[in-house]
Amino acid sequence: MKRGFFLFFILSYFVFSGCASQMYAWKNYESSLYKYYKDPTQKERFIKNLEKIIKKSERKGKVPPGIYAEYGYMLYESQRYPDAIVYFQKEKNLWPESQCFMNKMIENAERMMDNTFAVVVEE
Amino acid sequence: MAKRFLIFALLFFVSGCATTVKKDYTKFMSANPRSILIVPVVNETVDVDAPDYFLSTISVPVSEQGYYVFPVHMVKRVLEDDGLSDADLVHSASTEKLCELFGSDAVLYIKIKRWDAQYALIATTVTVGLEYIIKDGKTGVVLWQEDSVVRYTSQGAGSGNLLADVIIVAVNAAMTKAAPNYIPLAKQANEQVFVYPGPGIPPGPYKK
Repeated sequence: MKRGFFLFFILSYFVFSGCASQMYAWKNYESSLYKYYKDPTQKERFIKNLEKIIKKSERKGKVPPGIYAEYGYMLYESQRYPDAIVYFQKEKNLWPESQCFMNKMIENAERMMDNTFAVVVEE
Repeated sequence: MAKRFLIFALLFFVSGCATTVKKDYTKFMSANPRSILIVPVVNETVDVDAPDYFLSTISVPVSEQGYYVFPVHMVKRVLEDDGLSDADLVHSASTEKLCELFGSDAVLYIKIKRWDAQYALIATTVTVGLEYIIKDGKTGVVLWQEDSVVRYTSQGAGSGNLLADVIIVAVNAAMTKAAPNYIPLAKQANEQVFVYPGPGIPPGPYKK
C-alpha cells in the first residue's frame, strides 16, 4: 500500500514536471498533425485542435509560433481568404520573424480573392 | 626527462578530452539566429510515410528551445505549390535563397536514416536514426550538426530501474503489434539531440 502511494507520487512528479517545463500550450498539436498525415479525413480534427490551442493560449500565455499561420492556411485552403488574412496578420503581429512570409501569403490571399471575384462577375 | 614527458602526455590527454566533449558554438553564436525554417525531411529509408510522420514531432522541441519556428505543414504545402514537393530538391537548393523566400535566419535540414522494425522470435527491435543540420541563412555555412539513433526492443519484464520502466511502458502502450509506432522514438531522438548544454542548440531569444 505504502509502495503504491510512493509510486503514484513519483509518477505524478514526472507528469507535472513535464508540463511545467514547456513554454507554450501545444495541447494535441503533434498527435493531431500526425493523425492528419496518417489519415487525411482527420483534417477537421486538426483544425479544431488548432482552434483550441489558439483559444487557450489567447486567454493565458502566448500562442505558440506558427499556430496562427497554420490555422490561417487551413482557412486559405478552404478558400476563406478574408478569414485567412486575419490569422496571417495575427501571426505577423505576434511573431515579427514571420513578417516576410506572412506578407507574401497575405498578398497571395488577396490575389485569390480578386480571382474568385472576377469569376463571380463573369458568371 | 621522464617527468617532462609525463606532463606533455597529460596535457594531450586533457586537451583531447576537452575537444571531444565540448562542441564548437562560435559559428552558431555569431550567426545568432532568431528563426528556424524546418523544411520537409529527406527519407533514406523504404518507409514512405516516415517523413510526414516525423515532421509532426519536430516543431515543439525547436520552439521550446526559444526559436521562432515556421509552421511546418504550411511550409511544406507552400513549397509543394511552388513545385518543390521533392524534399531532396529542397535540400539541394540554395539555403540563402530559401531563407530569402521565407525571411528566415536559418534552415534545419533533417534526414531519416533508419525507420524500421526487425522481428525476431520474441522481441521486436524498432530503430529510428536521424541526421540534423542547421545552416545559416546568410552564408549557407553549417552552424550545428548532430546525429541521433534510438532503439527500442520489446521485452516483457521490468528492469528494476523505475524511470526506464516508465518509458518502456509508455512506448509499449503506443506500440501496436501489427504496425510499430515510431513516434515515441522520434520524440526521444529529438529530445536527446536538442538538450543544452549537451549536443543541442543554445537557447533562442524566446527562452526565459
